[in-house]
Amino acid sequence: MGPMVLKKVKIWKAFFSNSLTRDMEYKSNLIGSIFVDIIYYGIHYLFFSIIYSYVDALGVFTKEDVIIFLIITFLSDSVYMFLFSSNLHGLNGLIVRGDLDFMLLKPINAQFLISLRYVRSYAILSIIILIFLLIKLTNDFYGGILFFNWILFIISFISGITIWYTLDFSISCMTFWFRQFSMGGWLSNELLKFSRRPDSIYGGIIRKVLFTAVPMILISSIPARMLIYSPNLKIFFIQIFITILFFILTPILWRNGLIKYESASS
Amino acid sequence: MKNYVIKYTYIIKMAWIHALEYKANLYVGLFAIFSGLLIEYLIWKQIFIVQDVEYIRGFSFRGLMAFIFLSMIVGQLKSSWVTSIEMIDEIRTGELNKYLIRPISFFSYNLMMFIGMNSIYYLGYSVLLCFFPFFFPGLILVSILNIIGFILALIVSIYLSYSIYFIMVCFTFWLHEVRALVIAFNISNLILSGQIIPLKMFPASIVSIIHFTPLPFLVDFPVGIATNQYSIDVWAEKFLFAICWCLLMTIIGKIIYRLGIKQYGAYGA
Repeated sequence: MGPMVLKKVKIWKAFFSNSLTRDMEYKSNLIGSIFVDIIYYGIHYLFFSIIYSYVDALGVFTKEDVIIFLIITFLSDSVYMFLFSSNLHGLNGLIVRGDLDFMLLKPINAQFLISLRYVRSYAILSIIILIFLLIKLTNDFYGGILFFNWILFIISFISGITIWYTLDFSISCMTFWFRQFSMGGWLSNELLKFSRRPDSIYGGIIRKVLFTAVPMILISSIPARMLIYSPNLKIFFIQIFITILFFILTPILWRNGLIKYESASS
Repeated sequence: MKNYVIKYTYIIKMAWIHALEYKANLYVGLFAIFSGLLIEYLIWKQIFIVQDVEYIRGFSFRGLMAFIFLSMIVGQLKSSWVTSIEMIDEIRTGELNKYLIRPISFFSYNLMMFIGMNSIYYLGYSVLLCFFPFFFPGLILVSILNIIGFILALIVSIYLSYSIYFIMVCFTFWLHEVRALVIAFNISNLILSGQIIPLKMFPASIVSIIHFTPLPFLVDFPVGIATNQYSIDVWAEKFLFAICWCLLMTIIGKIIYRLGIKQYGAYGA
C-alpha cells in the first residue's frame, strides 16, 4: 500500500511539473484566471451583502460566519480547480472521440490518470491568498480558533473536496451510458450551487437529501461549521462515512462504464 | 434583402436541427432554473419570516418568486457566452477565414447560430410560460399587452446581450485570449443584471451605477414588463433607451471588428 501511494505521489509530481511548464507558456491565462476569480469572489460577496441588508442571520450563520463560509467555498473551489477541473470535464471528449484508448493503454491506474493528469498550477496563487484571508478573518472575527477546530476543519475540508470529486467523476462517467454527455459540466455546476449557500437555509427533506444522496452540504458548510462553531462530532463522522462510501463507489462506476465503452467506434 | 433573410433563416434551421439532437440540454437547463429558484425560495422565505412583513421593496413573497423565476429563464435565454467562446476560438485558430471568403457576416452568422441553438430552450420555456398565469395568477403576463411587451423586450435583451459579447470577442484580434473577460462578464451578469435578485432589492448606490449601463435591459426590463413592474407610460421611454444601447453596441462592435480584422493574421489557419 505504502510504495503504491509513494509511486502515485511521484507520478503526480511529474504531472504537476509538466502542467506548470505548459501554464508558464500561457501567462495571460494566469492574469485571466486572477481576473475571473476576483469577479467571482466579488459577485458572491455582493449577493450575500444584499441578502444580509435584509436579515441579521440566516439560521445560525451571521454575516461574519457567512464571510468565513464564502472563503471556505472559494478555497474548496480553488483546490478543486487546481487538482481536478482540467481533467474530468474532458472525459466526455475522450470517450466520444475514442481517445480514451490511449489512456487505458498506459501502465497506470486509468482512473488516477483521468482524474489528475493536468494540474491548473496558477490556482496556487488563489489558494495562498485565501488561506491567508481565512486565518486573518477568523482571528479578527473570533479572536483565534482552537487547534482542535483547525484539525477537524482540515479533515472535513479534504473530505468535502473528495465528495465533490466523486460527484463530478460520477457525472462525467455518465458519458459511458449516454454516449454524448457534454452538458455534464453544466449539470455538475448546477448541483454545486447547493453547496455555495449556507446549510442553514435547507430544511426538512431537502436537507436530508443534501446530507446523504446528493451531499452538497458537506462540501463547504460542514467544514465551515467545524471551524467556527463547537465541533459536532456526529456530523463529522457522518461526513467521513459518506466520503468513504462515495469514494468506494467511483472505481465500481468506472469499471462498469468501461464495460460499456466501445472505443473509437463509439 | 430577400436573399439576406433566406440565407440567415437557413442558418437558424440548420442550428435548430442540430439543437434537437441534444434535448438533454433542455432538461439540464430546466434543472438549473428550478434548482436556482428553490435556493432563492428558501433564502427569501427565511427573510420574510424573520422580518415578519408582507412586502419588501414593493415585492410580496409570491411576487418576488415570480420575478426571480422569470429572471432565471430570461437570463438563460439571453446568455450567449458559449457562442462567444466558440467565436474566440474561430479567431484564434484562423477559422475566421471562412467568413472572409464567403458572402456571410461573422456577426450575423453566429447570431443566427445562437438563436437556432437556443431554439430548443425557446420552445421548452414557452410551454413553461403558458403555465405561469396559473402558478402566479395576477402576477405575471396578466394581459396581451404584457405578453407582447415581454416578447419585444426579450428580443431586445437577446440582441443587446449578443452585441456586448461580440465586442468582447473582437478584442481577441489584439489580446488573443479573452475567454476570461467573457467568463467574468457572464459571472457578473448573474447578479448585476438582476437575474438572481431584482435590481429593486439592491442598495441605491449600486443601482444608480447600474442604470448608467445597458445591464438593466438584459433581464430586469423584460421581466419588469412581464410582471407589471413598469406602467405602460414608461415603456416607450425604456424601449427607446434599450434600442439606443443596441445601436451603440452594434456600432462599437462593427468599429472594433473592422479595426481588428486589419490586425488579423490567420496564424492558426
